Amino acid sequence: MPVPKFAIQKPAWTPFNVVAGIIVVVGLVVTVIRFTQGLAATTNLSDYNPWGIWIGFDLLVGVALAAGGYVTSAACYIFGLKRFHSAVRPAILTGFLGYTLVVLALHYDVGRPWRLPYPFIVQRGTTSLLFEVAACVALYLTVLFIEFSPAAMEWLGLKRARQIVVKLTLVLTIFGVVLSTLHQSSLGALFLIAPSKLHPLWYSPYLALYFFVSSIIAGLSMVIFESTMAHRYFHNKMDAEHLRQADGVALGFGKAAAWVLAGYFVIKVVGIAQADTWGYLATSYGAWFLVELLGFVLLPCYAFAISVREKNLKLIRWTAAWSVVGIVVNRFNVGLVAFNYHLPSSERYFPHWMEIAISVFVVTIGVLVYKFIVTHMPILYSHPDYDAH
Amino acid sequence: MDTPIVTLHDFMLRTESITYLLVVMVLVGFVFFWRFLTDRDEDSTRPDGEHSSDTHH
Repeated sequence: MPVPKFAIQKPAWTPFNVVAGIIVVVGLVVTVIRFTQGLAATTNLSDYNPWGIWIGFDLLVGVALAAGGYVTSAACYIFGLKRFHSAVRPAILTGFLGYTLVVLALHYDVGRPWRLPYPFIVQRGTTSLLFEVAACVALYLTVLFIEFSPAAMEWLGLKRARQIVVKLTLVLTIFGVVLSTLHQSSLGALFLIAPSKLHPLWYSPYLALYFFVSSIIAGLSMVIFESTMAHRYFHNKMDAEHLRQADGVALGFGKAAAWVLAGYFVIKVVGIAQADTWGYLATSYGAWFLVELLGFVLLPCYAFAISVREKNLKLIRWTAAWSVVGIVVNRFNVGLVAFNYHLPSSERYFPHWMEIAISVFVVTIGVLVYKFIVTHMPILYSHPDYDAH
Repeated sequence: MDTPIVTLHDFMLRTESITYLLVVMVLVGFVFFWRFLTDRDEDSTRPDGEHSSDTHH
């Protein structure tokens, strides 16, 4: 197997490598503390606040931003939009890594991580939303692994195995869409159990719908964002097809994002009308809610619409990054800011520095693995020995 | 609104009325949004669905 040229030429002590190295070392040290001394030594979690940023960020944001996998493969293989084909592999890879890191982060968060498989083998609790989330995430991670595997098989030269897996593409895509619909919405539905803890502006019987629809926005925006980053840092890895289709992917996904954001804005306003929570908008929480709704939903909706209309690719890419931030803000609001809003500030949760260190560590691991895979495997280009599937 | 909400009927009447008004506005608004979003599509889209290469960063 030929060794990529620039892998040899690049010096090891680049700023990126140094920063990533420091983060990984700190992360490993905190990991040892977490698994030897427990949650109390490394987190500010309590009985009031059992879910911190390892759930609010690593899980809720991670799952939402990994939605690009099902969104892109559904667009390409189910809706037949083959002009987005070049975006499928990068999106599947991002999704696969995203879910892998979600599961990795869960090992830090749950008190006894070795019991993670219990929902399947000991106590099924099939009426529990957590069971549904666990089942779907486990199954979808498997689906993403199989969907990603052709790239690895092409890299390893496993032609026969790749041929078999490629034949499963449509079935896997359908399976992925079904599983994603189920667990993206269930993550929102988890909060339905705590109507008195979540601020009325964020609590809604439609939470499941909000999480699902916003995951589509996250997926579309993340594909544009990730493609922008790949263009910037892995331009030399892209083949002609990827370079030719990139603008079309940004325009198509930008238009779709404008539509979904508009729909999301409407269902959020309808949610306020149905719950009659207009009065809360005049409070400080209301001001923050309006920042989220107007600044991270309506503004990107308008910006996507304008940029698609004007064919302004730069604005589309900036808007996609802004939408990704918006998803982070939304999941933080539901999981942390608006949760336990009635508690005195002394009882409110703020993450321990080690919690933040682990979250940064997990993201860094994702970036490093992404870099390795994109450098070695045919993700941003088609392997010359294989037909596109 | 100044009318106090006493019964479930009062609540439903208020919330559903507002929702229905919102939905009508949304249905009309979406038509304009659709036109805003798509009325320049023909300028840059070739018959095969590929976007033209004159769209640069």
